Amino acid sequence: MSYVQVGLPQLLISLGLVAMALAISAQEKLGLERDLLVATLRSAIQLFAIGVVLTFLFQHERPGWVLALLGTMVVVAGWTAARRIEHGPGTAQLFPVATASVLIAGLVVLVPVFTFVIRPARWYEARLLVPISGMVLSSAMNGVALVLERIFASVHDDAPAVEQLLSLGATPAQAVARHTRAALNASLRPTINTMLTVGLVALPGMMTGQIVSGTDPGQAVRYQLVILYQLLAVSAVGGALAARFARRLSFDERQRLRTFSGRG
Amino acid sequence: MAPALEARQIRMAHEGRVLLDGVSLVLERATVTTVQGASGSGKTTLLRILGQLDAPDAGEVLLDGAEVTALAPTAVRRRVALVAQAPAMFEGTVADNLATGLRLQGDSLPADEARRLLEQVGLDPAALGQDARGLSGGEKLRVAVARAMVLHPEVWLLDEPTAALDDDRAALIAGLLRGLVGAGAALLAVTHDARLVERLAGRMLRLEGGKLGPGGLR
Repeated sequence: MSYVQVGLPQLLISLGLVAMALAISAQEKLGLERDLLVATLRSAIQLFAIGVVLTFLFQHERPGWVLALLGTMVVVAGWTAARRIEHGPGTAQLFPVATASVLIAGLVVLVPVFTFVIRPARWYEARLLVPISGMVLSSAMNGVALVLERIFASVHDDAPAVEQLLSLGATPAQAVARHTRAALNASLRPTINTMLTVGLVALPGMMTGQIVSGTDPGQAVRYQLVILYQLLAVSAVGGALAARFARRLSFDERQRLRTFSGRG
Repeated sequence: MAPALEARQIRMAHEGRVLLDGVSLVLERATVTTVQGASGSGKTTLLRILGQLDAPDAGEVLLDGAEVTALAPTAVRRRVALVAQAPAMFEGTVADNLATGLRLQGDSLPADEARRLLEQVGLDPAALGQDARGLSGGEKLRVAVARAMVLHPEVWLLDEPTAALDDDRAALIAGLLRGLVGAGAALLAVTHDARLVERLAGRMLRLEGGKLGPGGLR
């Protein structure tokens, strides 16, 4: 396998790219310099840390360690998806709901793929399980966050019509059916768009990675397709679960619309 | 016979302010009750509690003698029509709006029934195909009344039904509401329109300081 290494000095040179963005932010008075620096620092720290963790995992590949890492990913994804949902019941109530959505959607998608499609020699083979789970969970996180955000915001904006539907005898599911559909639609749209244009403009990350590290493009393509199908399924399942939870949180035990003021 | 709707000792505070301080109210069949009161006095809150859209801090609501908490919320709301001030129209045509209550139960509204309803509320049946959201305020109100009539509710709760209307339209609405009462419904309208109170000619109450007391034409 031919493999071109990136040394630390070379990595430092690539920081010049961040300087370009900084310079534009300063010149155009975007006020993003601080955010850019924090993002640069955090991305480096987080990726170096996961690099260390992965190196450790590959050397001590035990189911417990692998599961601990995946569990952490699920919790962080749930936490991230539950934050900053305006007009929602607050992070404390949304966190368990978002985490459950990410976890269930992740399991529903990952277990069959690892059992029937990828079939690694050991199910906990970190080299496969961790990066693929990472992609799937992050897609679940984005889908869940978007659905929660959309449903609470649109139901809040449309509260008079929702309540008038209730007054005409609608169940909660009927009263927010339109909002649920719109939110799920919006959560699937990005993945569908990616699938429509994939290969025409960008080569997706996993495929790029495999090709750069020397994998046969034909194999890289097959892996990438499996990933895309997983991303589609996990957005759909995670979004649908989040929508159900959001609906349950939006009404009280007598099916009255609850109102949440501003930011949770 | 139990009253159509009864409220017992309803208490409700909002942001530390007591809006309803032990309000009790009986709505008999085929009668009109109007509640006047300054804006912010809790009139709308009272309607929302009776219409099962808000939870009171304390107190109970009885529909035909049965505690509403013992009944399915959807069933209660079908029997108690709540027409909001400046009612929102649903997406679609006037016909779609009229059919909503039945569509929610998997039924449809026959076209001749829809035309008859529009005539009853004083709208041209030709409006059936119009986009409901493009109607004027007064037309929207009448569509809202018609779309609730479809379910033949026993109790009508109306929030400022004449707020956006000129005097002719207000008279027409008052006549329509009296017609519903004539057909046996109990009707409660909260308003600060003295003309409407006079036109509806029912029992007059006033909500003040969280208490419901006798009212009059002022």
